[in-house]
Amino acid sequence: MDINIFRRKKKIVVSVLTEKKVKETPVRCQSCGNLIKYEDLKENLKVCPYCGYHFRMTISERINLIADSGTFSEIDTEIKTVDMLDFKDLLTYKERIKQTKKETGLDCAVITGKAKIGGFNTAVGVFAFEFIGGSLGSATGEKLTRLIEYAKKRKLPLIIVFSSGGERIQEGIYSLMQVAKTIQAVDSFKKSGGLFIPILTNPSYCGTAAIAMTGSIIIAEKGSSIGISGPRITKEVAKQNIPDKLKQAESLLQNGFLDIVVDRYLLKATIIQFLKHYNRRAI
Amino acid sequence: MKYLLPFEKSLKPLYKELEEKKKNWETTNNIEEKIQQELKKIYNNLTAYQIAQIARHPDRPNTTDYINALFEDFIELHGDKKSGDDPSIIAGMGSFKGTTVAVIGSRKGNTLKDMILCNHGMIKPEGFRKIARIVNLASTTFKSPIITFIDTPGAFVSKESEKKGQIEAVSEPILALFKAKVPIAAVIIGEGISLGALSMSIADKIIMLKYSFFSVISPEGGASILYNDRKKSEELASSLKFTAANLFNAGIVDKIVNEPIGGAHRNKEKVIKATGDAINNELETLLKENEKQLKTNRIEKYKKIGIYAD
Ligand SMILES: [Zn+2]
Repeated sequence: MDINIFRRKKKIVVSVLTEKKVKETPVRCQSCGNLIKYEDLKENLKVCPYCGYHFRMTISERINLIADSGTFSEIDTEIKTVDMLDFKDLLTYKERIKQTKKETGLDCAVITGKAKIGGFNTAVGVFAFEFIGGSLGSATGEKLTRLIEYAKKRKLPLIIVFSSGGERIQEGIYSLMQVAKTIQAVDSFKKSGGLFIPILTNPSYCGTAAIAMTGSIIIAEKGSSIGISGPRITKEVAKQNIPDKLKQAESLLQNGFLDIVVDRYLLKATIIQFLKHYNRRAI
Repeated sequence: MKYLLPFEKSLKPLYKELEEKKKNWETTNNIEEKIQQELKKIYNNLTAYQIAQIARHPDRPNTTDYINALFEDFIELHGDKKSGDDPSIIAGMGSFKGTTVAVIGSRKGNTLKDMILCNHGMIKPEGFRKIARIVNLASTTFKSPIITFIDTPGAFVSKESEKKGQIEAVSEPILALFKAKVPIAAVIIGEGISLGALSMSIADKIIMLKYSFFSVISPEGGASILYNDRKKSEELASSLKFTAANLFNAGIVDKIVNEPIGGAHRNKEKVIKATGDAINNELETLLKENEKQLKTNRIEKYKKIGIYAD
């Protein structure tokens, strides 16, 4: 439930790098401190060429990374985020939605659709961290649920790329309920024999991470931070210092909660391997 | 009065006067009347944050109080049968007005020692897994209704919890409750925060006490994220629309149990009894329904939750 990372958007290392923002200036790697030309970083799948640190990707970069070129077609585009609580923090939620739409062109924190991956037909969902920290609102939950049902009906493998601070605080209880709603939809999909491969990327926190953890095969990108709470809430409620390392994908793998941690270069190839095996299953 | 809430401070001299009068064997009718008047004045204009403070009052009736008063032959069950036992979750079998039921609730502890043992009601992975286990036991073996009592600040955040897979554990009770082929009534008795509260709230009927709250995040945590300032908790609390009245209007909560002016801790017995009656009413209706239908309806109910444009 931590979207503070999104709010501090002046620090380049913690925001989503869009071309508009950083085309002119070189980017400093948060991990090794080297300066990288934006073009070089983009060329390198937004992985630091010096140390391998995985920078955050925009939603379109993510779709291009996963889907075969030109095969992605979006569904449920009519579903849009609304302010149902008349919510206000530093900004009214209405204004926040409007500004986010203007900056990103998005109406919701997730884009869903169908795509071919390595030639296999799949149902694909991708979170947009640039949309209010990729947080889970009503529209997000509804689009995920419809995607899961779409996959179930058409017997398609389901791939969802997570990158989310957690629940959308601005939608109060409605946001929390999306966690239950989506987990239930996933369960019903899995019971029908469906394959759900969640890809956890940096960061995946709270309710959205909980949804991802119900996957059939759980993949995380190298170095991703995953946990029950984001840094702000952890600091707020934990009575002890919790080392960042414990929330890293590599630790979760060691503790038995992930199947694979992959380097971004190998992500698509890894997904395709499972799609191959799944395609060869006896029906 | 052991403990007055910050917005009840105007009562302090009145209670002092009451004590004095009692000590001197004087009549107290007058002063008691004054206290009631003052309480009424305060409680008729509560803010959301004040309601959250009442919900967290240390003397408020807690899960253990409800279990002791409402269930006969209660036997506590322990452990998730995987890695441990979380005292912040109390679960077991009991008899409710003659019907065997599974009772599951979060426990904050009454004494300081218990509070520490129970992590102030913050749930560990083994707690979430214990809930799932007891839900399954009720559904498959005892075929008994499930009643949950919710009063938790959320999931426990600690090194040990992350190591044991807190983020995985939290979905287990949610799935178990969706699957259960028995009636489920959830009662929010105090604070119900985030995934901790959600994990016990998947139910056919949700009952909520008038001065309890059910929220995606604590007002303090939310203020810290959205304002970067804990002091904005009061402002944020109103925005979150988390009170029983808000959630009843939103259709999330089915029944509100009334509390006296001054809150449940000022008349525990009455509130516990009213809560028992509310549970009984809901269970009576639910027990008439076909178990398969119950499950289908429950899933459909949650599928419809959410507001968006389309
Ligand atoms: Zn680097």
